[in-house]
Formats: sequence, C-alpha cells, structure tokens
Amino acid sequence: MEIRICGVSKYYYSEGKTIKALDDVNLTIPANEIFTLLGPSGSGKTTLLRCIVGLEMPDTGEIRIGNDVVWSKEKNISVPPEKRGLGMVFQTYAIWPHMNVFDNVAYPLQVRNVPKDVIRQRVAETLRFVQMEGFERRPATKLSGGQQQRVALARALVAAPKVILFDEPLSNLDAKLREETRKELRAFLGKLQITAVYVTHDRVEALALSDSIAVMRAGQIIEIGTPKKIYFDADHRFVADFIGRANLIKATVRADEGGYTVVESGLGRIVCQHRDLAIGSEATLCVRPEFIRIVKGTGQAGSNLLNGRIESLVFVGEAYEAEIRVGDEQLLAKIDPDAHLNEGDDVSFTLDPAHCLLVAL
Amino acid sequence: MDPARARLTWLLIAIVGALTVCPVLMLVLGSFSEGLTAFGHFTTDKYVQAYTDPAFLEVIYNTAVFVLGTSLLSTLLALFLAYLNTRTDIPFKFLFKVISIIPMMIPHLLFAVSWALLLNPSNGLINLGLKEAFGLGNAPLNIYSLWGMILVEGLLELPIAYLIIAPAMASFDVALEESSRVCGAGTWRTLIRVTLPVLRPAILAAFTLGMVRSLASFAVPSMIGMPGRVNVLATYLYEMIATGFATDYGKAAAVGMSVLVASVTLIVIYRALTAESERFVTISSRGFRPSVIQLGKARMPLFGLVGLLSFTLIVLPVAVLLYTSLVPYSMVPSARAFAMMDLRHWIGVLGDPISLLALKNSLFLAVVGATLGVILSIFVAYVIVKVKTRAAGMLESLSYLSFSFPGIVIGIGFMWFFVQTPLYATIWALLLGYIATYLPYGIRPMSSAFIQIHSHLEESSLVCGASPLTTMRRIIVPLLIPGIVSGWILMASMFVRELTLSVVLSRPGTEVLAVQILRFAEDGLWGKLSALGIVMIAISTTLVVVATLVGNRFKVA
Repeated sequence: MEIRICGVSKYYYSEGKTIKALDDVNLTIPANEIFTLLGPSGSGKTTLLRCIVGLEMPDTGEIRIGNDVVWSKEKNISVPPEKRGLGMVFQTYAIWPHMNVFDNVAYPLQVRNVPKDVIRQRVAETLRFVQMEGFERRPATKLSGGQQQRVALARALVAAPKVILFDEPLSNLDAKLREETRKELRAFLGKLQITAVYVTHDRVEALALSDSIAVMRAGQIIEIGTPKKIYFDADHRFVADFIGRANLIKATVRADEGGYTVVESGLGRIVCQHRDLAIGSEATLCVRPEFIRIVKGTGQAGSNLLNGRIESLVFVGEAYEAEIRVGDEQLLAKIDPDAHLNEGDDVSFTLDPAHCLLVAL
Repeated sequence: MDPARARLTWLLIAIVGALTVCPVLMLVLGSFSEGLTAFGHFTTDKYVQAYTDPAFLEVIYNTAVFVLGTSLLSTLLALFLAYLNTRTDIPFKFLFKVISIIPMMIPHLLFAVSWALLLNPSNGLINLGLKEAFGLGNAPLNIYSLWGMILVEGLLELPIAYLIIAPAMASFDVALEESSRVCGAGTWRTLIRVTLPVLRPAILAAFTLGMVRSLASFAVPSMIGMPGRVNVLATYLYEMIATGFATDYGKAAAVGMSVLVASVTLIVIYRALTAESERFVTISSRGFRPSVIQLGKARMPLFGLVGLLSFTLIVLPVAVLLYTSLVPYSMVPSARAFAMMDLRHWIGVLGDPISLLALKNSLFLAVVGATLGVILSIFVAYVIVKVKTRAAGMLESLSYLSFSFPGIVIGIGFMWFFVQTPLYATIWALLLGYIATYLPYGIRPMSSAFIQIHSHLEESSLVCGASPLTTMRRIIVPLLIPGIVSGWILMASMFVRELTLSVVLSRPGTEVLAVQILRFAEDGLWGKLSALGIVMIAISTTLVVVATLVGNRFKVA
C-alpha cells in the first residue's frame, strides 16, 4: 500500500528553542517496496516513522496510507495508532517480558477478537515463516537477541498489516548476528508482498536491504533513489559522503566531451561522469577509495592516469588503507592486501570516469 | 499531548490537589478563625496566644534538641554501619540488610513502648534489675527524658539514614580513594579528606530527612516525652486538641503553621541535596571491587557492636512486649516470673470490645485504604513518568507535597475540614486522611516500576491494534504487579500502625490499633498494651510475607 506524506512538519520545544524534527517533508513511499529512511542521528528519520505509525503527531501536513487519510492537520483527522492497522518492529523489539512467545505473537489477533482456533493457526504459520516454530511456550525472557527480533517480526506480521515499519531493528544485535539477520530479513521481506518502511543510520544495512533509499538530514529529505543510484550517482555532496567513504575534492568544470564532463581539480584534469553543469562552474569531485586502481608500471594514458606518493599505509584486514598524496591533495585509497607496496613509494593509479562523481557543493 | 492524557492529568491534579492542598488551606483558614465549628471573623488572636505563651519557648528548645540530636545520632550510626558494610571485612554482612529493613516492620509506637518498659524509672525491667543487683533505692536510669527520646528516636531513624547513605557509599568510584592513597594519604586521612566530602550530599540528605521525620514524630514524644513532662511541638499540639485537656484547634492551627513551614523547608533542602548527591555519585560501570579494609583485631568487637545493635532494634522490642503480655505485672525475668505467666492480658484484650473494634477498623483501613491508594498511585505515577507535560510536572510536585506534611499538623488541618462535612467522626475521614498523607509512599514504588517499563512495550501494543485501555490491562498492569504489590504492602503496613493522624481524627467508634495502644499506655495497662502490640506486629509481618509470596509468583524474570 502506498504511503503519501504531504507537507509534514514536527517541532519540538526545548529550553526556549524550537527544533524542527521534520521540516516540510513531502514523500511518496511506493507500494510493496522496501523503503529505507537513512540519515545520521537527529535527522528526523525515526520521528517520520513514528508519525506514519501514529505514535507522534505532526504539527502540519497530511499523511495517507493507501486511500485512508490517517492524519490531517487541516481536516482535523487523527487516527490513533491502534486503528491504523500497521505492523512495527521496534529498536528494542518491545517483546513483552510477562508473556511467552505465543502470547506475544497472538496479541494483535487477540485484541481484534479473532476466534481462538484461527489465532492458533495464524500464529503457528507466522512462527513457521520466521523459523521459530516450536518456541510457542518459551518465556519471552528466555530468548536470544536474534530470536527476539524474529518474534518481533512475527508479531508485526501476524495480523497481515498493510504496511510494516522497522525502527533500527538490527542496531541492538552484535556485528556478526546483525549481518545474518539482515540477510534473513531480506529473504523474509522478499517473500511477502508488503510495503516496508525501514529506518536506519547504517548505510550498509540501507544498501543491502532496500528497494529505495531516502537520505535525510536535519528534518529534510535530501535525496531519494535506488541503492545503486545513491551510491554511484548521488546528486548531493552530503549523500555521497554519508553513503560511503569518499574523497571530496574541489573542482571547476572545464569541458563537456564525448558524454563526459571534464573538470580541473587539485588532481589535475579529470574526466568525470556526465553532469549538466555550466563550463566554469564550481563542483565537488567525489572519488570513493575502492575505485582508486593502482597500476603496475605505466598505464594507458587518457583514462585519468595519475601519479602520487604513498604517505601512509595501514593494514586493516581485507585491504590496505593508503593515503596517497597527489600535489596538494591527499586521497584515501583501498588497495589489495597482496599489493607489495611500502610507505614512501611512488605509485600510478587510474580513476574510472564512471566512478568520478560530480556533486553539488 | 493527546486530549485523553491531558484530561487524565487534570483529573488527577484535581483529586490529588483536593487531598493535599485542602487540609493545608483549612489549617491556614483555621489559624485565623475563632473556633472549630464557626470560623467567625478574621482574627490573629490565636497566633498572639500561641506565640506569647511562656511554655512555647521551652517547647521550641526541647524540639530543637530532640530533632538535632536524633538526626545526629541516626546519621552517625548509619555512617558507621554503612562504612563497615561496604568497606571492611566484617563478617555476616546479611545482618546489615536485616537492620535496614526489619525495623520498618516494627511500629514506632511499640518500639518506644518496649524501651519505656525497660527503662522507666518506676518499674522498668532494667531499672528493677539494677536496683536488685546493687541494692539501689532509686532507679538509676530514666528514659522519660530528652536523652531517652533522642536515643529511641535515633535508633528508629537509623534504617532510613542507612538506606540513603549505604547505596551512596557502595556506588562511589573507589578510584577517588585509591588516587588519594597513591598520593600518599593514609586510610584515615583519605576517609576525612576524600570519602566523607564526596559523600557529603548523601550524609546531609540523611540528616535532613532525619530532622523532618523526628519533627513529625509523635510516637516517641508521646510515649517517652509526655510521662517525663518533656514536650516537643508534636506533643504540645496534641495536648491542645486531645480530649481531656482544654482543646483549642485555632491555637493548634497557629502553632501547626510554623511546624508545617519548617517541615516543607527541610524537605525542599532534602530534595535539592538528593539531586546533588545523584550528581556526585560516580558509578563506574566497569566491574569494580571496593578495596576492603582489613579490620584485624577490631573485627570481632565491631561485629559484636553490630550484633548488639541488631538485637536492640529487632529482637528486644518484640521480646519485651511478648514477655510483658504474659506476666501479670512488671517484674524482672526470673523463674518466679516464668512460673506466673498466663494469658490474662490476651484474654482481656480479645474480650475488650473497643480493642476488637480498633482491630477491625485498622484492618479495614489497611485493606481498603491501601487498595484505593495504590489505584490512585498507579494513575498518578503513570502520568508523572509517561506524560511529560507541564501539567504532569505540577502533578508530581503536588503528589510529593504531603511527604513533607507532619501527620499531626495535617490531622489538625483535616479536622478543620471534616468538621464541616458529614464525614466527621466516621471511618471515611480516617481513610481519606491516610490516603492523602501516605500517597507518596504508594507513588514512589509505582513510578520506579513505570520507569522500568520501556515506552516501546506500550507503543508496540498500540501499533498491534490494542486500545489504550486494553494496553493498560494487558501490558502495563501485569508488568507493574511487582511494583503494585510492594506499594500495597508499604501502604497497608503503614495504615495498620498509623498513629499521628489517627490521634487527631479518631473519635469514639473509629478507634484504631495505634490509638488504642496509646490509651492503654495512658492508663498504664502495659500487659494489655503488649498483647495488642504483638497482634499489630503479627498483622504487619503477615502482610509482608503474604505480599512477598504473591509478588514472587508474578515476578518477571
């Protein structure tokens, strides 16, 4: 089901100051997609999610879920959360400690007065779906973090909600479990035809899970796009910087040649992905560390071949992180761990024009 | 905030406001009035009368010595015990937990009675024993004096002071002490220069609370002070309103005003101090172990002291009462005394219609009062913890206001109020008074229970489609059960023993246990008093045991 958010703002008042948690947000979340709200803490992503689910009330605007208006300042409509028919997985999972797994999962059906035998059947199905069958009688306090996460998911899904919302559901798990659970979640959601809204500050999670990502900052949505679009082809410097590690270099547009935009920068003349920028205008060149390719000997000219000196080299396991000085600029580069390089070496490297992004200042 | 919560908040402000502000207003009004039943014209006569009375000066002096002495004694003892428990290798540390909890189950009135039975000059057991042993003509010790009051009240306030100081001492970062040691200061110097200054807010908080409590205390002054003609403000007020003396509620209200102001001021200081002490305490989350000081040769003598203290606080009062309830008249324990034991006092009490009525009333007040009090506390605590609006803050201040009200003063305020209503001289007057005065004791455990319930638990229920009421019933209340149970016990056991408010509001027909015990003491019926006292302790203890069992059953693992 589609979610439409129009002109939603939310203010907090603290010590005489007004904080705009949401600043005139307009957003359409398409039906049956996994849609992620990504942003640093304090960017308003959780507030937006809580407005959708009804736990917070915006100060302005309108929210529609499907064809129903669930919140409208103008029309004075405010549907309480329990009437919105959504499912939500909380950051803390919010598994009720005084109930066992069955009662936790059955709760949404029990409060809707569903007949007992139907409840039993639906709970069993849902627990099977999240691979927790046989755990019905387990007290909630005897569940591991990963199991709690699945029970929370089962509880959110059991009443067949129109939309399921996730508020940083993996942030309470340790790194290894987080990775496994992320894959599982992707698999679970892939099997369902459901609109999912996912809030996270973890860019890897966002990239791995989403169909679309909306990047937020200071209560505003900066950019929306598919994970690949956001990663490779971001329009905003903030987005390019936030979604992955990036070398950001000041550049001036010099030419438009053969489908590429050519800039002059501290690195010299660089051929970049095409952007509609006026010749002579200022832009920021964004190069991700993993797209800096060391070449042995002398590479072919013409494809952004550069020379520099390795200033520092740190072994981080799966790669070397090198700082390469080119003129006045210093570039962070990710180099194969089997490369035989030392600090102080002169190196040549290439930058693929497809991965040289020009973003707005 | 949504309208339902706002409405609930204002409803609670109205209820709690009526309960706490109304007696204060009536007290103020009463202090400027001519008489209890007819307010008459505005007059300051009562103030003039009250504060120019020559006896008043002596009362103030006694009160100051009593309050300061008591707080000093209890704070020093608590400091000593807390230090022994948290920092030394003293054996049997469980005793400290016992010291800090059990005495709360023994009503102050009975504790005072047991000391009177031991040390009163005419037939106190210890005095009789000393006279026999040394062939003395006069009793060597007299509990009916200012020092006697300080001793007994100080022991009674010890658990509260300990409960404030011990956690502060246990949780402070030992690195502060260790760095002092590394800098070259010895154990003693470190204690003086680092430990005590860091604990200063907690120590002052314990001292201030001791002052508030001893200022409001009525049990010890009435049981130990009045027989020796040592009046403090509480008993001075009591004599103004007690039947049998020349009652003057207006003058009592005028004197009560200054007690109330003093008490409220002290509580404001206390709350500032506790806020400061929370800031001072530096709990390091790393699993630290305070360095334990080896007591060496002093270990056993110090333990002996702690043992003696626990014996005095817990075993002695019950033993003395039990013994007195069984012997026909005061006599030193001996073979003859044990041979003469019988149940005459027990039979007397259990056949006494007024004692039985008092028992029935007290049980009713405990069960109904605690239940109503807890229900009100649940809603108030919910609003205080979960609804963070300005109105909720107002409710919080209102609901903790009565914490600073001395029972007897607020009783006088309620008297001025109830006299205008049909509730006067009914059990409902006592019920309302109890709930109003002891509301903070119900709210406290309930708010800490609410704080432990993460708001996500509640919100996820709403998102699952449950209405706020269903959420309350199925999620919040079950999670609150441990808090509800402990709040209920606390209130019920306080109501069973309630004295200070009851002595003002109780009338023929609405006697309660503590008032009946006071009457027995005034008549010198020590045997009957002891029997009824044991009944009171038994009820308190049963309440705690039953409630603990119920609480365990519902305990969230």
